[in-house]
Amino acid sequence: MEFIYYFGDVFAPMSFLLLLIGTIGGLILGATPGLSPTMAVALLIPFTFQLEATQGLILLGAAYTSTVAGGAVSAILLKIPGAPANIATTLDGHTMAQRGEGAKALQLSFLSSAVGGIFGVFLLIFLTPVLAQWALAFGPSHLFWLAILGVTVIGSLDSASVVKGLLSGCIGMWLATIGFDDIMGAQRFIFHPSLGGGINIIAALIGLFAIPQVLTMFAKGRHNKGAEVIKVQKHSIGAAIRELVSRPLALGIGTITGSIIGLIPGVGGQIAGLVAYDQTKKFSSEKEKFGKGHPEGVIAAESANNAMVGPSLVPLLTLSIPGSPTAAVLLGGLLIHGIFPGSDLFDNHPDVAWTFINSMLIGQVLMCLFGLYVAGLAARVAQVPQSVMAAIVLALSVFGAYSVQSSMGDVYVMACLGLMMYFLERFGFSAAPLVLGLILGPIAESNFIQGSMIANATDGRSAYFFGGALNMALIAVVLASIAYSVWMELRSRRHTTKEEAQA
Amino acid sequence: MKQLIAGAALALMSLTGTAMAEDYPDRPVMMMVSYGAGGATDFQARIVTMTAGNEDALGMPIAIINKPGAGGRVGWNWFATQADNDGYTLAAYNVPHFIAQSIKGGVSYSTDSFEPIANWGADPAVFVVAKDSPFNSMADVVAYATENPGKLTFSGAGLFVGHHIAALQIEKASGVKMAYIPTKGGGAAAMKAVIAGEVLGGVNNLSDAFRAREAGNVKILGVADLERSAFLPDVPTMMEQGLDVDNSSVNFRGVMVPKGTPQEVIDRLAATVPEMFANGRVAKKMKAGGSPMHIMTREEVKEMWAQRQATLEELLQGL
Amino acid sequence: MNRSTQHIFGAGVVFLVGLWITWVSYTQQPAEAFLFPRLISSVFVVLAAWTFAKALMGRSKVGDGLNRHQIIGLVPGVLVMAIYVFWAAKTFGFYTATTVTVFILISLYDPAPHTNPRVWAKRALITACFMAVMYGLFALLLKVYTPREILF
Repeated sequence: MEFIYYFGDVFAPMSFLLLLIGTIGGLILGATPGLSPTMAVALLIPFTFQLEATQGLILLGAAYTSTVAGGAVSAILLKIPGAPANIATTLDGHTMAQRGEGAKALQLSFLSSAVGGIFGVFLLIFLTPVLAQWALAFGPSHLFWLAILGVTVIGSLDSASVVKGLLSGCIGMWLATIGFDDIMGAQRFIFHPSLGGGINIIAALIGLFAIPQVLTMFAKGRHNKGAEVIKVQKHSIGAAIRELVSRPLALGIGTITGSIIGLIPGVGGQIAGLVAYDQTKKFSSEKEKFGKGHPEGVIAAESANNAMVGPSLVPLLTLSIPGSPTAAVLLGGLLIHGIFPGSDLFDNHPDVAWTFINSMLIGQVLMCLFGLYVAGLAARVAQVPQSVMAAIVLALSVFGAYSVQSSMGDVYVMACLGLMMYFLERFGFSAAPLVLGLILGPIAESNFIQGSMIANATDGRSAYFFGGALNMALIAVVLASIAYSVWMELRSRRHTTKEEAQA
Repeated sequence: MKQLIAGAALALMSLTGTAMAEDYPDRPVMMMVSYGAGGATDFQARIVTMTAGNEDALGMPIAIINKPGAGGRVGWNWFATQADNDGYTLAAYNVPHFIAQSIKGGVSYSTDSFEPIANWGADPAVFVVAKDSPFNSMADVVAYATENPGKLTFSGAGLFVGHHIAALQIEKASGVKMAYIPTKGGGAAAMKAVIAGEVLGGVNNLSDAFRAREAGNVKILGVADLERSAFLPDVPTMMEQGLDVDNSSVNFRGVMVPKGTPQEVIDRLAATVPEMFANGRVAKKMKAGGSPMHIMTREEVKEMWAQRQATLEELLQGL
Repeated sequence: MNRSTQHIFGAGVVFLVGLWITWVSYTQQPAEAFLFPRLISSVFVVLAAWTFAKALMGRSKVGDGLNRHQIIGLVPGVLVMAIYVFWAAKTFGFYTATTVTVFILISLYDPAPHTNPRVWAKRALITACFMAVMYGLFALLLKVYTPREILF
């Protein structure tokens, strides 16, 4: 309960001003294509040079929470996920925006972000010591199985055909191997110098999601016959809250999945949203609505990716190990002021530690309020004529891809992937499983190789990868997930053949 | 009309024309770091360049660009082959990393591809074990490895980086076989493997290990340097413990430009940058972060590179 | 090309890519570094062969391919996009190239009549406003140093 004692510090005029700047600035940065939360926080670090430790961390904490939520804005309105965390949001969120329900989608996303986010920070406050042990429990073999679990999700994610979904996943995993292999340093599939650095995940995300959408608008041509002007529906905040409360399953699964997965160093943040989305779809009574603008999709994805924010800082704050790239940047922000995370932080600088955590808590609330305030206005983006929209999204994609690493190569890769994805989509492939493959491939590979090296030096591969309770539990979940998918596939096939027979 | 066109052309030329050395730099300078944001190199690069915009330094800010991947190869390859050599693109170097990688091959750079400007830091490698480990000295480690050849697993930040060099030297000096496990994700991932007990020990940066020890997670058994570190006066060097490990693995960090950068620009940078590093605010922030500083001028760095090239060629022979 | 021919073509290209990466994975050295690519490409090529076979039998269920109208709509946009991304952005500088491209694309796909000068003024205004926002966001706020050749 120590944190309550330090609540006052957050509301000191200067601190609160920084909190506001961090929150609003974070939302804008998060909504900018190409700026992931990691980069947004890195951009803010120089400003903290001038500030006191506590104030600097308030700025960073608020910015971190709101950039993650801000990514949903471009994901919903423009179909450009700001970071891997927002991929799942595009699936239903953008469809809703196209139907004129952008305001509703944005309100739901901010509300569920706040619920998930606050839950995550409370976990951080109350369960840190327990969680730290849990975060450490995941070694290479467990991370490998976790990645495989992610792979089993691929087939069922956003594709009408399981084979094409899996094939999309394979394409993604292959794309991820392009570049230098991380451990040996060998060159793989570098057939153009732009690929020397591998495929940057943010640039790939922009290309795979935004460019096909630009091309779809082009394909409608100049005289878009039958294209009615979208009516942007007004949606009251009260209704959004009622909607959220009426869907406790999506909110609960999203929040819990996000918190658990977000904790695991190196994996969590990127896949929390997608895994939560998939789980919610499996348990939902309205499975068939997912991917067609179902509010539950937005709720699950956004509550998960903000729930991950708090727990993802546990390894950093307790063990001084940054568990995610953003945590690594925050570590820099602490070190500059001579504060070492770990026991030193909570014992000798409790004011800094708790003010930082409190700022994330208040930041969630402010982010939600501000987000709700602009949601109705922002949703009007859907009314922008197609010709203008296509040009704007294209320009934003190019600027976004370039600004990731100031590299023209990333822009070329973005455009090529986008063109490729457009044609693949015409033939029933889809972007979400491909991106999941792109993210999971390297996790599976590096942990497999590292695990094998440890196993070869100690008790052998089979004992290392199949021994221990956690390994067995993960394998069981993998098998259950596969069995479930097969069962669903068989069931739907029987249905269709019956219908065909009747027809 | 003619005048107008001529005027426009002139304006264009002055905008696009190459920067003259006397007014260098007239726009912000970019510095490439070949490791991810938040890593030790990135963190230090951001601190040492924070005063670049001051009038007595470059007078223009330096923006950090991260190009991480494959132990630094991605960034340095880009820097050697694609970066503009107009003086507006700098890079951070890590010795022995890039030299070892160029000796090993498969990359498009070597010491000849770059021109050093100045060195800002030297971070020795240290040997760490988890706090509840039975090992209390390097002798314990070597004894275990002698009894169980090839079974002593220890982590480090990749192949052909400083940690790997230290690992090779330890193996060579003790004459036993150990299992070096390179991790993806740099020093932080290697440290996590040690703390979580996935491996029996690890080689890591002194600055990160110092912090982890402060947090009460690890024991530091030895420093791979010629002298004890001011941060860890109680930890003996490898040499003191009878292992013939010199300072070849010390991670020197500094600034360089690509080959072909105009000589006047190099001279200007070589004169200004070490002074910029020596700034009192920089030193304070570096100390607070537990990062040892070691400022060297262009000439000293050139000598250090040549020396490392020779030692590493010998060490990596037959690998 | 009708829908099923398009499917054969699309699946065929994916299958060829699969064959190529499988071949590369199994022939390149060092073998340790290609362990994972081998695994992926093996699965890839099997799945791609399945898809290709289904396409040949005309049993591709999902994906609508492209019709003539869509192709006619696509061609000018894709050309402008390719010139912009692969050549103009770097050659003329980001802001100049983007201004021109955005204006061209808006004009190309705007259903309003091209004869009306007010329509052109509106298009120019939209372009100018958008570029002002982009410049403010990327150059002033985020300080991204994009390639600059002509003007700004």
